[in-house]
Amino acid sequence: MRPRWRKVLHDLIDNKARTLLVVLSIAVGVFSIGVISGAYQIISNDMSVSYAANHPANVELRMANYNTDVLTSIHNAQGIGEAEGRRVNNFRVRAQGSDQWVALDVVALESFSKNQVNLLAPVSGAVEAGKDEILLEKDALKKLNATVGENLTLELSDGTLKELKLVGIVQDVSTGAGDFLAPPFAYIVMKTLPTLRQPELFNRAYVTVAEGQDDIANIREVGTALKDRLDKNGTAVSRTRFSETHKHPLADTVNAILGILLALGILIVFLSSSLIANTLSALLSQHLRHIGVIKLVGGRNKQVFAMYLTLIMAFGVLALLIAVPLGGQGAYGLALFIANKLRFNLLGYRIVPMALMIQVAVGLLVPLVAGLAPVISGSRITVLRALSGDLAGDENKPQAGKPDRLPWFDYMLVRVTRILAMRGIHIPRPFIISLRNTFRRRGRLMLTLFTLTMGGAIFIAVFNVRVTLHDYIGAIGSYFRADVTVDFDKTYRLSEVQKFGLQVDGVERVEAWQFIGTELLYPDGAVADNLNMLAPPANSKLVNPIIVAGRWIRADDVRKFAVSEAILNFFPDLKPGDSMYLKIKGRTEVWEVIGIFKFVGREGILAYTPFEYSSQVLNLTNRSSSYRFVTTQHDRATQDLMAERLDHFFRGAGFKVRQAESGLASLDTASESLDTLVVFLLIMAILTAIVGAMGLTGTMGMNVLERTREIGIMRAIGADDRAVMRTVIAEGFVIGAMSFGLAIILSIPFTYLLSTIVSLAVFETPIDVVFTYMGYAIWFGLILVLSVVASILPARNAARLTIREVLAYE
Amino acid sequence: MSSSIIELRNVSKTYSTAAGDFTALINVNMNILAGEFLGIVGKSGAGKSTLLNMINGVDQLTSGEVIVRADNENISIHTMSEDARASWRGKKMGVVYQSFQLLPMLTLIDNITLPMDLSDNYKPRESKERAMQLLQLMELEEHAYKLPAFISGGQQQRVAIARALANDPPILVADEPTGSLDSITADHIFEVFEHLITDQGKTIVMVTHDVGLVSRFSRSLTIADGELLSEAVPDTKLNQGRKK
Repeated sequence: MRPRWRKVLHDLIDNKARTLLVVLSIAVGVFSIGVISGAYQIISNDMSVSYAANHPANVELRMANYNTDVLTSIHNAQGIGEAEGRRVNNFRVRAQGSDQWVALDVVALESFSKNQVNLLAPVSGAVEAGKDEILLEKDALKKLNATVGENLTLELSDGTLKELKLVGIVQDVSTGAGDFLAPPFAYIVMKTLPTLRQPELFNRAYVTVAEGQDDIANIREVGTALKDRLDKNGTAVSRTRFSETHKHPLADTVNAILGILLALGILIVFLSSSLIANTLSALLSQHLRHIGVIKLVGGRNKQVFAMYLTLIMAFGVLALLIAVPLGGQGAYGLALFIANKLRFNLLGYRIVPMALMIQVAVGLLVPLVAGLAPVISGSRITVLRALSGDLAGDENKPQAGKPDRLPWFDYMLVRVTRILAMRGIHIPRPFIISLRNTFRRRGRLMLTLFTLTMGGAIFIAVFNVRVTLHDYIGAIGSYFRADVTVDFDKTYRLSEVQKFGLQVDGVERVEAWQFIGTELLYPDGAVADNLNMLAPPANSKLVNPIIVAGRWIRADDVRKFAVSEAILNFFPDLKPGDSMYLKIKGRTEVWEVIGIFKFVGREGILAYTPFEYSSQVLNLTNRSSSYRFVTTQHDRATQDLMAERLDHFFRGAGFKVRQAESGLASLDTASESLDTLVVFLLIMAILTAIVGAMGLTGTMGMNVLERTREIGIMRAIGADDRAVMRTVIAEGFVIGAMSFGLAIILSIPFTYLLSTIVSLAVFETPIDVVFTYMGYAIWFGLILVLSVVASILPARNAARLTIREVLAYE
Repeated sequence: MSSSIIELRNVSKTYSTAAGDFTALINVNMNILAGEFLGIVGKSGAGKSTLLNMINGVDQLTSGEVIVRADNENISIHTMSEDARASWRGKKMGVVYQSFQLLPMLTLIDNITLPMDLSDNYKPRESKERAMQLLQLMELEEHAYKLPAFISGGQQQRVAIARALANDPPILVADEPTGSLDSITADHIFEVFEHLITDQGKTIVMVTHDVGLVSRFSRSLTIADGELLSEAVPDTKLNQGRKK
């Protein structure tokens, strides 16, 4: 090997700590971008492939009971490909030997072997359930500790217990896809329905369109025509859902979330590039003498440039060797995690070529770009300056032709310390040295501050985003403030439910709520979307809406409703006072919008009308099948206990209970999903913090190395180990404290930006930002620890140097 | 009479510092003859290192001209770019410093091979053979694969001289090459220089503050406050050889 390349090799391996710092700086960025881009590629491909492979329904119809004749007519309707009828009922289910009830949607199929839509994939055991047998969707196992072969106990609405044999576990990636809050599924054959005292009739239809399965306009058109036809023939359709074959219902959300993570990944690359620039600039400073010698013996600029460029490329290649395999694993791990959460399958572990190319490009180009400026200036330096180490000096050094006065910072420092001294406050001299040292290399200080500040601002913002999201979930909870909701299979008089309900210990109040399943129509009569209209008593304290425009419902409202702002997706100019066409019980009616309130967009459009009027619409005066209970205590544990107690009590009293659920149960599920997202954001924030900490360690190391002679002089005039260490650590501390101050400021726009992007992706509506001291407090503690830890190693190295060594350093 | 290999015409050098302008060289005119061992003697701050850096092109002059006539070329070196000067210096002028300036991560043989590698004057195999010959000349062949840190100061300076000779340049300039060496080692370095002049016909320009060394040069110039004051031609072994 030629001597110049041997030198490059030595530069790479001799200073292992520096090489490690640069390689890790590059690797962190490459890893982050590899994980996100790889996961993005895997998910966007596998999500649609896996979803489409199970032949998902394009149209899902929730209907009143219907028979095979209606199913045949659906099948024969224009534009329909496949059609499958199913019956879905919610039951409480218990595993053998357990007293824990779990609510399951039990889906009855006509035939497992003829299953053509929303296919079930075998996981273990049998793939078909016979009479009085049941299959579980694999997600149900998270809540139900059951094994194949044992009997599951199902509780019927009259309290009767029935046992079905669990014969297999299956996976259903289509049914309930896109609904975070959907209960787990179980599957039986229609012949089992009599055992569960259910009619052998369907109440759902899963339909595929014959053509244009990825054309949502066509799907809507075919689905709406089918629905109209069913309505006309007397089969009421309460809800329709449309989806494309090759697009998972949550694809947009997942892509938006991955987009945020990608943005953070790019930021990490950006931050690590400033760290690389810092380190390479210091490396070039340290190598000035080497460059001088090379030029002295005949080396030309381009030869020096090529040597250091090769060194940078070698750093990049080493970083790729670390980050590419880890990034590949991380990408698949992240994709797998998301796939499990959203119930779809991946096509297996693989290296994603595009992600690999992005990683290689980032791993080689980022250090190249970051290092270009220092390498160019280093290679162009004159021999004399290189040999005299002129560039290694500080930026406060008086320059020729400049006015002969102290730099501003030193001037301020002198002034402030003098003023304080006159008031009897004496700042220790070593601390003043630390302060001055901090500002010596301002370019380096800026880059270090930039990385630390960005890391801190993102870290703090993530905590704010978490609280913002939870606050919003809490605000959403103000629409569901009942402690327990009990749904019955038939309607009961309010006075009857009150009489029994208030007998249960801990129940304070009972309210009857009604539900009207309606459809929102365009002026031409086409269906815009489903409208879930709830009808609480007008004076109910169990709803505390966040009104955006107009007003809330009143008892005397007739054909008036308040609606969630998701309606603006369909009618962007809608305002209170406007009239809307609604389809209610097969009839088209004109209702007035009285108010618009804030709510999660993803769950469709929600509307409220007073119970007083809905009773007339539904012809159910003072009766309902859904009741809200207020208990004396409102924590989750009490709510769960009261739900259990009310369920037991009403069943015992002969009521046909469908389910009793605590108010916080669904909110907690939603919060858990959000926490998962927050964890990802936090991981990215921690990675940025790591880059920041590495930046600080590098900076402190470089600062100490460049001041070796100065440290020697300090030791020669009596500074002991502790004094030297204190000076260095105080410098790190000052940088950390400054970055904290800047991070506080920068975290504000970051919080708004992240909150808006996340809320638009998850809730489809911007939400009010909430700040918490938590992120600030944790980051403050962390930055103090980081800055001290980052300074300890360089400080120890400085303290270990002997006077002879440091004064002979040059 | 030998011809002039280096000619300095009205060379001046002024440095700008925060404390004001400082003139290190004032209108220096001199000729350096081919094959002579010229000593430039002066106290600290007299301008001798500045003068040497004008001759080897490491520093840029403020006014004047330095002409080098080597290998049938007549070059005013300060008209070249810094980069071109580096390449020229690598081939035509070896430089030796008091602090050796060896690359600490390279073995002795690699340090010597480096100029040949950079200039592409020799093929890799040839450059290695030549480096080994130069180490033999310096009586250091057994240390060829050691790092500079593992040999003595005198040995390091001999390696620096070997490196300066790598591309077989006609001129060698040395800035206080014996300044950090003991007298026996310094004497050995002088023997090497004398050998290079008598046996290989090299021209050597050496800067020193030690007036006691004047007798070792074929000619010496005294410099003070940036001006050449006097010239001495001692009756040395070298001059006796030249007279013959």
